[in-house]
Order: sequence, then structure tokens, then C-alpha cells
Amino acid sequence: MNTYLRYIVLFLSSAVITPLMAQSATTEFSLDNGLKVIVREDHRAPVVVSQLWYKVGSSYEVPGSTGLAHALEHMMFKGSSKLGPGESSRILRELGAEENAFTSDDYTAYYQVLARDRLEVALEMEADRLASLTLPEDEFIREIEVIKEERRMRTDDRPSGLAYERFKALAYPASGYHIPTIGWMHDLDRMTITDLREWHERWYSPNNATLVIVGDVQPDEIKTLVTRYFGKIPARPLPAVKQPLELAEPGQRSITLYLKTQLPSLMMGFNVPSLASTDKPNEVHALRLISALLDGGNSARLPAQLERKQELVAGASAWYNAFSRGDSLFVLSATPNVQKDKTLAQVETGIWQQLKQLQETAPSAAELARVRAQVLASEVYEQDSITSQATQIGQLESVGLSWRVKDSDLAALEAVTPADIQAAAQKFFTATRLTTAYIHPEEARP
Amino acid sequence: MMSLRMLSTGLISAALIFNAGCSTLESAQSTLPAPVEQRISSLAALSKQNPVTRTLDIQEWQTSAGTKVLFMAAPELPMFDLRLTFAAGSSKDQQAYGLASLTNAMLNEGTGTLDAGQIATRFEDLGAEFSSGSYRDMAVVTLRSLSDPKLSTPALELLSQVAAQPSFPANSLARIKNQLLAGFEYQKQNPGQLASLALFEQLYGKHPYAHSSSGNAESVPVITRQQLQNFHRTYYSAENAQIALVGDLTITQAKAISETVSARLPRGTAAAVTAKPIATKASTTHIEFPSTQTHILLAQLAVKRGDPDYPALFLGNQILGGGGFGTRLMEEVREKRGLTYGIYSSFSPMQAPGPFMINVQTRAPLSEATLQLVQELLRDYISNGPTAAELADAKRESLGSFPLSAASNSAIVGQLAAIGFYDMPLTWMSDFMQDLQKLSVADVHAAFKRHLDPEQLVIVTAGPTVAQLPLPEPVERSEQTAPVERQH
Repeated sequence: MNTYLRYIVLFLSSAVITPLMAQSATTEFSLDNGLKVIVREDHRAPVVVSQLWYKVGSSYEVPGSTGLAHALEHMMFKGSSKLGPGESSRILRELGAEENAFTSDDYTAYYQVLARDRLEVALEMEADRLASLTLPEDEFIREIEVIKEERRMRTDDRPSGLAYERFKALAYPASGYHIPTIGWMHDLDRMTITDLREWHERWYSPNNATLVIVGDVQPDEIKTLVTRYFGKIPARPLPAVKQPLELAEPGQRSITLYLKTQLPSLMMGFNVPSLASTDKPNEVHALRLISALLDGGNSARLPAQLERKQELVAGASAWYNAFSRGDSLFVLSATPNVQKDKTLAQVETGIWQQLKQLQETAPSAAELARVRAQVLASEVYEQDSITSQATQIGQLESVGLSWRVKDSDLAALEAVTPADIQAAAQKFFTATRLTTAYIHPEEARP
Repeated sequence: MMSLRMLSTGLISAALIFNAGCSTLESAQSTLPAPVEQRISSLAALSKQNPVTRTLDIQEWQTSAGTKVLFMAAPELPMFDLRLTFAAGSSKDQQAYGLASLTNAMLNEGTGTLDAGQIATRFEDLGAEFSSGSYRDMAVVTLRSLSDPKLSTPALELLSQVAAQPSFPANSLARIKNQLLAGFEYQKQNPGQLASLALFEQLYGKHPYAHSSSGNAESVPVITRQQLQNFHRTYYSAENAQIALVGDLTITQAKAISETVSARLPRGTAAAVTAKPIATKASTTHIEFPSTQTHILLAQLAVKRGDPDYPALFLGNQILGGGGFGTRLMEEVREKRGLTYGIYSSFSPMQAPGPFMINVQTRAPLSEATLQLVQELLRDYISNGPTAAELADAKRESLGSFPLSAASNSAIVGQLAAIGFYDMPLTWMSDFMQDLQKLSVADVHAAFKRHLDPEQLVIVTAGPTVAQLPLPEPVERSEQTAPVERQH
């Protein structure tokens, strides 16, 4: 019954949780056309999630043609050889499935969550839009208006969204990560159906995709079904893909924005590698632990020091994506406690004090043990959701890592010493790697 | 940063759409496509049987302190979820708007012997996740822990202290108030939230659901520590609490846990049920806001939890605008006219009648025309009801989605908490499914006519005043299509 558990947790002392790796019922195979398939069994409930991940996202786009990956994601619902526009969604809805899609810098993914007996329908329709997408022009003309509304809602009318878009454009001077996934409005205005047809032609082939299935299924039955629907789709040559690489130290940059907001805020981002782009993975794991030391829970340093002790910020966060396809960013953001008359300048100083502390003093063993306890527990908690299990696998595969990375992840984190953390803080938290965004209310414009 | 095709507000998201466009129209007319079952072979092969659903073996008992407990063993993962609910939401604020919310947010700020930092450190040392939240009807305290007793025992002990013996330290209270005030400033930059606040005020007048659960910039600063202590003593009592517990525990362990947690709580009585609001009249309110889109909300008071018409209203709403793609509203407003990223309708039954609500946002120059279109669509639906085909599809959808509602511990604990709080039978989920299957077109139509009047809507808009444009022409799709093949 418990064979699909990935970890059995044993308790050793008051602050140490040690995992034992158990057999993980995950099966991997590829079709002759290059489609990679990963199946994880989870027999708790008679349901299944199917996710098809394409290795293409907004970081593959070029200036003038931003927003293509996301726009194509919308158009994937507008018909294929066996289906009219919107028909697949109608069918899935009648079957009681939950379905959607998402696009990021590094990937575009489509998913269905449904009762296990309906999986075959989802696979047949997913294969059809990979092989023979219709892309009708009149549907596109209407859908691009929907996408512009999405942009207005998420970015243009949302100060935090707008600020992050401008911050990111500055923080990534060399790589495609400066492109906003939704696309610049002026590029949405001039996008054509031909652009999208070329995009689908170029990137949507079985040898550029990973199918992840998690749930109450057997690998053998999945192999039969996937071969039936995807097996005949021919592989196609793919364009040479270059990993998004950044300048290690692009130089200190800043942007000042006056937006429709009542509260000022601050974002700081340091150019750093990811697990996929580094040749020193230990440094990347150190950065992950730093992120957790700063913001891994209510006892972490930013809430404990800046929010509660100093009452400098109304809120602060640290964020680092170690699992991107190319060079990444270590981001800190904060809003000053204006009720205590704190300013952006004071918050900036306060954050720098936290970073300097990491550079000057290695964290205690107890603090690190707490961070690891949380990481370990969250590995168990994540297994409560078949969707989050599938997403973790699909994301790792799509950025050029293996889903097996997670199996050695705890050991990798255990191997990071307090001195490694100090060294990583010294190496990466430098002005030459830093982009700062100062966000002020419109009323404060000089 | 991710960008989704759609923000899904419900369990089910999908799209009923009709046909293709100009380029394919001729071929569609000359050669009508085969029925979908002939085009999608796996659909034809799919059994018409209902899908299998996980059997939920729910146990119910009462602790010696008088707390109702709902428990389901789920031994597959070495973890459990505990959810404590109290009838201690903002409907109990009286004139101190935000009191319930502030009391809830202060629980983990101190216990007399531990301060906020020590509480957080202890939970996190154990890998346990504590959270709390406060809404109109209820306040919630949750713990997610690994099930090894060496970890879970101290985590549960701490949870008990936090829920039962908060000390409400004055310095924390001042800080949390400041954070709430910052939150109110954030609200001012969000036209959707401003519209929602105004809508509830219009809908509920002097009723305790009228004000925001967070309170406001005038009410929060004057709330005292004494008020928090009184509120806690009155509403966080064992008799006013329910426990939902799901995970890797035996029934013996579950009984011991619930006994311990409830025994520490103050003793008192179950709170009185929130009174019924007075029906409100039609109104239109505009909030001027310098955004590119206008947010539009339309609402009316509808039903409470347990209303016998709720199954009919739920099913009818799935057709009108519930869930996502394929609803009439999504079809007409997004798919045919490209006016919005999303339009949704919902019933929110609470202890007292909750609202029926439609929300949509569109570019400002089309806001008036969009509002008129939505009103026409609603008027038509209430006058004529759903079609038989729409009803059959919605029933099939609800059956198919049922297994998804019990796929994870977190989904199940949420359902148990709602069943416990609203005093519903343990079989509520399957009863509800069966009720849906029995409904006729006439039942749904009659329920909508009974509860909604399209001329009595409370309407709130938030956006800029700009010159208005007419609606774009809709693109009509025929029922089915024969799409043009594109070879790769």
C-alpha cells in the first residue's frame, strides 16, 4: 500500500528530521518519435492528471515578436483536425475534467485533471492539437483582444505586475528573460496568425515535449495509450536552442517608477546562476538555503528581524528560482512600514544589513536544521496533490534537468555547510550584480 | 512569472464553443462534420457509466468538552491535516469592524510564555505548518504536520496553546494594526476590490455581512486588547468549535488529539445564528478610478446554506457562468466578442443568505455596452431557463468531476470542515450529487425565477469615465465544424 511513498520520515532529535528514501514508483520511457513520457503512480483516489510540457516559452522569443508562446497557448484551444474551436474544452467539461494551460519563460504546458477512466479522451485530443492545429484567423482576431484584456488586468492596471515587468526587463540585459511572458502591448498589436503558425510549426513536435502522468494508473496501460495517439506523429528537426546566459556582473542598475499605488515599495535582484546553468551546484543549493533563511517561514530572518523586531517593513520577501533553464535572479522585495514613517531608503539599508550579516557570519547549525526540517516536511506535503507532483516533474524536465534531481535533493542540501552559505552570500550579493527598482505613488512624483 | 489562459474560479474549467470562422465556413456548410464520437474515437469507446469515486469513511463524534469532530483516516502519506473552525467570523464584529479578523491574526503572536518568534520557531523546527484565517461566518485555525508522534505531539501541544491561550501582547497588536492599515492602502490601488467592498455595503446595508472582514482604516485603530480577549473568550469556546481531521492517524489517535485540543479551549456556548438580511432594492454605484479597464459587479441577495433550492441554483449557475469556459456568459462575452479575459457568476451560500454575483472586467470604452449585454443575458436566462441539452451536459459534468473533489487530504479536510460548521449530514457530498441528477429544466428555471429578479440588481462599477463605444459584432460559430487540416 505504501510502495509509492517517496520518503519515510524518522525522528532523531528535537530538531532533526531524517528521511529514508523509499522506492518511488515513477516510470520513464520515450517513443520512437522522441516524446518523453514520465508516469508516477498514486493510487489514493481514482483520478489522474495529464500534463504535456513543450520546451518553449517567452525566453525563446525575439524583440518585436514578444507574447507568441502565450498567444499560441490560447490558440491551442481553437481547433485541430478532429475538433472545432473550443470543442475540446466542451468535451472535457462534460467529462467533469479540470483543464487549462500555462506559459512561462521556459515552457508552455497543457493539463487535464480527470476521473481515471476518461484519460484516453484527454490524450487523443492533446495529440490531435500537437499534430494538426487549425489556427483559424477569425478566431485569432478575437482571441488577441482577450489577451490584451488579460494584459490590462494582470499588468497595466496592477502596479505590482507593471513594476515587476519593468524590473525584469532591466535585470536581464543579455538573455531572453527580459521579455514579459504576456508580451509588450505594441507587439500584441502587430502579431499575426502567420507568426503563430510558424511558432507551432517550429516548436510543437513530439521530440520537444514531455508528457507527465500522475495518478491511479499503471505504466503499461499508459504506454499503450500514448503510443496509440502520439506514436504516429513524426519527429521534426528543432532549431538549435541556446541556453539563456547572463553577464555575471552586468553592473549596478536602477529604475524609478511612479505608479497608481498608495504605498512605495522596493525590489532588488542579483544576477545569479541556476542549477541548470552552473558548474558549481553547491553554490546554487547555498542560495536556495539563503532564500529559506531569509523568508522560509514566519521564524525566518525577514519577518523576524525587519517585520517584527525593527518594524521597518509592512512585508518583505526573498525569492529565488534555482530551476530555470538559464541564469537566474535572486530577488528581494519589501514595502516600508509607513505607519512608523519608514522610508524606501531605510528599507534598502535594512535589507543590505541582512545580506551583510549573511556575508559576515555563518548561520548557526540550529537555524540550518530548521530550514532543512521545513524542506523535508514540504517534500511530503507536496505529495498530497497529484498536480504539484506532476508540475515538479514537468518543470524539471523542461528546463533541462531530470526529475531525478529531486531524489538527491535532500542530500544536496545536507551537503551545504554554514561556510558555503557565507561564501555564496559574499560572491553573489554585490553591487555589480544588482538591479534595484524604486516604486513610488504617482503623488510623490517630483 | 506565469501567464495562464484563464483564471479558474471553480473546480471545473472548460469551453463550450461552436464553430470556426470565415476561412472554414464554406467547407463547414458544404460538408457537415461527423458527430464528435466519430471524430474522437476514445469518446465513443468511453463507458457511459459514472466514474468511480473514492469512498470516504467519515467518523463523527463529540469531545467531552462539546466539540464536534469529523475524521477520516488517510494512511497513505505520513502526514495529517487538522482544521479548527469557530463561529467567530466578522459577522460577530458588532460595531468593532475588524475585531474577528484581528483576534484571529493575533492568535500566534504570543501565549504568555512564548512570543511570536518562538511560536514560529517551534512549529518550523518540527516541519509543521500553522495558519489561520477569518471570514464572514467563521474563523479557522489549521495545522499540517508529519504524523510521527515525536513531531506531531509537540506541534499539537503548541497549536492548542495558540488557539486556547493567546496573550494578545500589546506591541504585537500595534504592529498588526499597522499591517492591516497598509493592507487598506493596497486596497485603494485595486479597482476590483474597491468595487467588491462597495457591493457588499449596498447589498447588506446594516446587516453584519455588510462590512469587510478586515475592517477599515477608522475601525481598526480603536480596537482594544480587552476587546480581543473578550471576543476570544466568547467565540473560541469548545462549544462554538468544530474539528476536521484527515490523515495518517488511527481513530484512537484522532480521538486523543481532539480531546486534548478541545479541552484547552474556553468553555461557553455555541454562538447565535446570523440573522437574515433585509432584501435590498436595485441600485447603481460608480467608483471613479484611473485604470484602463472597468470592473463590473452585479449582485442580488440569494440563498443560505441548506436552502432546498441550492442544488437547482448551483446546477443552473454552472450553465450560466460557473466554473469557466463553456458557460453562456463566457461564450457570449469572451469567446464571441473578445470583451474580457474572464466573466463568472456564483452563488455564495453562507449561514445567512449570501449573494448571487456576476463579475467581469473590460476595457473602459466598452464598459457600458458590456454591462447591458450581461444584463440582457441574465434576463434571458431567468425568463427562459436552460435548454434540456445544457442541463444534461451540466449533470454529466458534475458526475464526472465528483471524484476530483476527494482526491487529496487538503480537499477532504476542507469538505469535512464545511460539513461540520454548517451542520450538514456526513453524506452531504453524495446527497448533493444525487439531488443534482434529479433536477429537471423546470426545477432549475423555477428556482432562478424564485430567487433572482433581473430588475432588482445591485450594480457597482469601478473605472474611468471615458467616451463609450458600441459592442463589436459577435462572431457566430455553427454548432460543429469541419476544420481545415493543416499538415506539419
